[in-house]
Parts: sequence; structure tokens; C-alpha cells
Amino acid sequence: MTTMQERSDLLDKIGLAEQNKAALGQVLGTGSIGYAAETSDGTMRATIRIHPDELTWDPSILVMPHGGDIELELVNDDLNTHCALLPSNGDRKFIWLVNHSRGRATLNLDGPGYYWYCSPTGNDEGRGLTGAIVVLGEAPPEARLDRPEQPRP
Amino acid sequence: MSVDYVDAGEAVDQGLLSGKVAGGEVAPPVVAGLDYERILNARREPHNWLTYYGAYNGQRYSPLDQINTDSVKRVVPAWVFQAGTTGLIAGASTYSFEAAPIVVDGVMFVSGWDGWVWALDAKTGVEIWRYKHAVPFDVSLCCGNVNRGVAVAQGKVFTVTPNARLLALDATTGKRVWDKTYGDVRAGESATLAPLVVKNMVVVGSSGGEFGVRGHLDAFDLASGEHQWRCYTVPKPGEPGSETWPADGEAWARGGANCWVTGTFDPETNLLYVGTGNPAPDFDGGVREGDNLFTDCVIAVDVDSGQIRWHYQCTPHDVWDYDSIAECILFERDGRKLLGHFDKNGYFFVLDRTNGARVGITPFVDRITWGAITRDGRVTAKAYPDKEGEPVHFYPGPAGAKEWTHAAYSPKSELFYVPVQDTGATATRRRREFKESIPYWGAGVQVDIEDMAGSVSAFDADGDEKWRWRNELPMCASVLATGGDLVFAGEPSGEFNALDARTGQMLWQFQCGSGHHSSPTTYTVDDRQYVAVPVGWGGWAEGFLPGMLGAGHGSALIVFALPDWS
Repeated sequence: MTTMQERSDLLDKIGLAEQNKAALGQVLGTGSIGYAAETSDGTMRATIRIHPDELTWDPSILVMPHGGDIELELVNDDLNTHCALLPSNGDRKFIWLVNHSRGRATLNLDGPGYYWYCSPTGNDEGRGLTGAIVVLGEAPPEARLDRPEQPRP
Repeated sequence: MSVDYVDAGEAVDQGLLSGKVAGGEVAPPVVAGLDYERILNARREPHNWLTYYGAYNGQRYSPLDQINTDSVKRVVPAWVFQAGTTGLIAGASTYSFEAAPIVVDGVMFVSGWDGWVWALDAKTGVEIWRYKHAVPFDVSLCCGNVNRGVAVAQGKVFTVTPNARLLALDATTGKRVWDKTYGDVRAGESATLAPLVVKNMVVVGSSGGEFGVRGHLDAFDLASGEHQWRCYTVPKPGEPGSETWPADGEAWARGGANCWVTGTFDPETNLLYVGTGNPAPDFDGGVREGDNLFTDCVIAVDVDSGQIRWHYQCTPHDVWDYDSIAECILFERDGRKLLGHFDKNGYFFVLDRTNGARVGITPFVDRITWGAITRDGRVTAKAYPDKEGEPVHFYPGPAGAKEWTHAAYSPKSELFYVPVQDTGATATRRRREFKESIPYWGAGVQVDIEDMAGSVSAFDADGDEKWRWRNELPMCASVLATGGDLVFAGEPSGEFNALDARTGQMLWQFQCGSGHHSSPTTYTVDDRQYVAVPVGWGGWAEGFLPGMLGAGHGSALIVFALPDWS
């Protein structure tokens, strides 16, 4: 049986979570995980960074407690230019992130479910700059089926 | 030494980076005056295609005749709109361009996969605005990331999303006006159909029949989005029809019967005519003994109350995945109000639409082995997966002799034109316990990749076949009938054909570069007739044509016209 600790050790041992070690880039879904903070008015906020030469988002999995609006600060600490294409209801949001830059994005997302975002330049997406935004929660009561509670996996 | 960050500013809408000129992102207010009366009389505006089927009657017929049996040989592409895809999207391998383009006074409104809606200049194909809903990558989709079209009325464009939302967009800007959730994605529900506007309401149905949900229709107020009614298509214990489900247990609660294709409407009966989907689990009838109403039915629903007034079940106790979601085409004969319905089970049903009485039943595909339905309506099952682990082969396969893609009816020729899929499949029952959001088929299923055929077949209302245009591959796209005595039909291998509506002779063909699985429409701008067809192979290809699973997806809307029309 594989435990979370074993998984982390294996990622380090094999080099799956780093650039140009095991694979050419960092394998999707192997990066860090972070929570969005929620303010009293229900707005969510988070900062996402690109560290030097990592070609990955930190966090690469951002968790929102529920659907709604989220304000992101996007920081590129890398020595190369990247960008961000982010999911949002209405249209996807795009921003250039030149070396050592900091920008902002406001997204509106439904919950529950998860969404990918990326840096759509060159093959940043394949090298590791593909991240996920996970939205927790349930469908609103008025949308749920009129039936007894059902088993889930 | 620290260095200040460069200010990258605020992320912008991706659509702003698409070559638009200032002011070009606002559509003229063509939908502002589009009310119920105009939709009711949609065919009095032959230059427009105002609602999913072109009119409430579901005939998919346009009286336009500039492109006709004589002129069609000169038809050429007028413009192409290509959306493509960027980033990771849900169902990246199953997306398909399935929509029926709507046209109102020179503006086209069309939906794509993954939450896309576009407003285009119907004369040039230039994008005016786009709306992109963010669709969860992990949403449950039985059959692909698809959407079949939008509805328009009172200044708004209505669309559903894969995560079971109904949106109202401003038709001039594409901005969201209101947004309602009408399904539970954690239960495996989704949404794929084109909404239908009737009176002051927009009516939608749910998808998710392969996940053991309970099907329903919902109606919302056009202006406010306020919920008007919900109609469940599987009764609770004690409700009419509940006697057709096991008295103990919760089979009814997972019973399916999703309305995942747009209904038709008769203002005189005040009834919506809607087809319901398969029961769940699809192939394991042992856990749901009985006829399982109102699965696999044509139901007539009072549009004001959402109450089912009558039903006709095409496949009682279905264990072949024979949804009856196919269109109900309304027509009259000898003063009688009838509807025609080509069912997945291979039979063409003609019903009295005032009361659901059976008028005629005729097979419309050559091979039917699952069972037989006699003209008096008696159903006898013959080949079905009732023994655990024992493979059973049957025709038609689970995609049906015709899937959701639509037939057409020409009041001029008084003929129905139906795209036919003659393909078998093998199902092996494998019982499993139910868990929310996990596929609930109850069998392993493999559709034949050899020994298949297809056709566009013409039938009269008595079920007599008048002609057949044969194809080596099943026909998996809606057909369009016109006043030019033409039937347009796309092939899975990319050809878009114009057939003579009276003989079936092929008169014109264009290779579109990807398979057809959509609903072409026709309209005019400045007196020039156009035929629009979304092209993009995908969806549940392993169900209706696994032999084409390796074909390119494509994502183009191609619009045809005569080069010299004036």
C-alpha cells in the first residue's frame, strides 16, 4: 500500500517533481498545494508564484472553499517571461508575466469541481506550468435531486 | 539589493486578444424584439432560424429555395469559422461540435463544446462576441463535452453548461444576465441540450442517465431566471407510474429517464412533446423489474404546470440503452394532429399528439434483433443481457438506429427524412452497486466495428419507405429539408451532401475535413441563402461508430452559398 509519505519520497527519489531530472519537465499534479484565504465579505484571495527555474506554479493546486469570486496575485520570480491563462466565467483571463513582475486577476468560478490554468507560451504547459484550481462545495439545495441520500464512493 | 517588481497589471478577457476592432464586439439588437409570437410563427420569417428545430413543430424544414435541385451544383463555401481549442478542457478527447446555429436578422448565435457561445456576423463569419463558461475538468460526461445549441428571445441568449447551469446572456454583448444551477454535478448530472423558449419561460432538461440520476425538466422565467416548475420523469413511490418500479428499494431514485434533447411544442394542445432517456442501470434490468415509467417514453407535458398529461413508452423495461430522446415531429394529416418519432430501438412511431394514441409503428432500419414491436404495439424482447457474464449481441446497438441527431419532415413532399445507423453491439451484464457520480451501466459493452451500414431514408406518414440513399458508414448527423427540394446530410467521413428530396439522388457534395455530428440550418442575409453546418467529429463515437474513433475532431463552422445569387 502506498501512503502519502511514500508518494512524496518516491517523487523526490525518482525526480518527478523537478525540472530535467526524471522527465524533461515537472509531471502535472506533483507540485505544492495551497488554500485561498476568505475575507468576511466572502471574497477569496490567493498568491501564486513562479520560482526561479522551477517552471511550476506555487501552489500548483489552489483550493477554494466554495464557488464565487477570487482575487489572485500572480508573481513571476523567474528569470524568464511567462504568462497565465486562467479559467473564469464569461471569458478566460490572460496576463503577461515578464521576468520579475507582479500582476492581478479576478476570477469567477462555479463549484464544485476543478479547473486547469496554464502559461500558454512555448511549452510552458508541458514543462510544469499547468496548475489546478479546486473548488469545494455542493450543488445548491434547489438544484439537487428529490431522492433519499445516496451512497458515494 | 531588492528590485521592484514590474507591474503586470490586471489580467484581461482573452477575447480582447482576437483581432476585434473597437466597437465590433457589440451585436445589433436583433433579439430585442424577438418575442413568443414571433417564435410561434417562426416559419413566417424564412430568412431566420429562430429556434432549435427552426420552428416549434420540430420539422427542421425551411421553405428557402434559392439553393435548389438545379442550382445546388454551384454551391461553394462562403465562410468558415474556426474556434480551435487551447489549454486542458474537460473531455479533451470527446469534444464535438454538435450545435444547430440560430440566426436572427443577420446575426448568428451558436454554441460550442466546453461552455463556448459565439455571436457571429452571419454574412461574413466575423466573431462579434464570445462567452466562455469555465467548465470543471472533472465534470461527469457520459458521452462527450458537447452542447447542441442556444435559444434566443427578449434580448437574451440562453445556453446550458456541462456543469448543469442555465445562463441568460445579453444578446448584444454576450455578458451574463442571470445564471441558475439546475442539476447536481456531484450526483453525475450535466446539461447538453438546446433550451426551448415557450411563452415567458425557458425550458431545459438534464443529462446524466448513465450515472443513475432521476431525470427532470425545469422551466425558468425568461426575464428574471426565477424557477417556474420541475417535472421529474421517474415517479416517486405512490405517484402515477410508480407501480412500474420495484416496491422496495430505491431503483426509482436512480431510474434515469433524462430529457437530454430539446422538445417540440403545440400551442393548441399547450403541450410540450419530449422524449425521455434510458433507465439506469442501462443494461441490468434485474435491479429494476417492471416497465420503468417514464423511461424511454414520449411524454406530453403541460407547459404551464409541468405536469405529464400522457405518455407513450417505446421500449418498456429497456436493457439496450434505447433512449427515446429523439425529436417528436409535429404534423397534420386528414385533420388529425399527429407526431412522428424515430426511436433508437429502430421503430418509427406515429402518435395522436392530443392523447398519445398509437397510429402507426414501422421499422426504419434493416436489422432489429433485440425484439419486435407489432403494429398493435405489442413489444416482445428477444435478445437481452440477463445472465451475468454472458455476452449478448443485438441490433441496433446502444446508440440506436438513430441517435439524438434529427430527422426532418418536408410539408412540401410530405416525407420524413431520417439518418439511419445500422450497427450492432454486444453487452455482457456485470452487476455493480450504485455509487453517486460513478457510471452505472451494469454491463460491459462493445459496439461492432465491422458489418455496419447507414442511409438517409425517406418515409411517408404510413411508414412506407419511398427511397433510400445508402452509405457504407452509419449516418450520425441531423438532416435538413428545404423548399428547394433538397435534403442536406453530413457523413461521418466529412462529406456534406445535398440529396434530391423526391428521389434521394445525390446532387452535390463537399468534403469538410472532419465528420458531421451536428444540426445544419439555413437562412438568408441580403437575399442570399446560406446553409450552415458545424463540423467536428466526436461525442460518443465509441457508441455510434467506433470504427471512426481515430478520425480527427475538427472544430469548424462551415457556411455555404451560391457564388452568384442576385
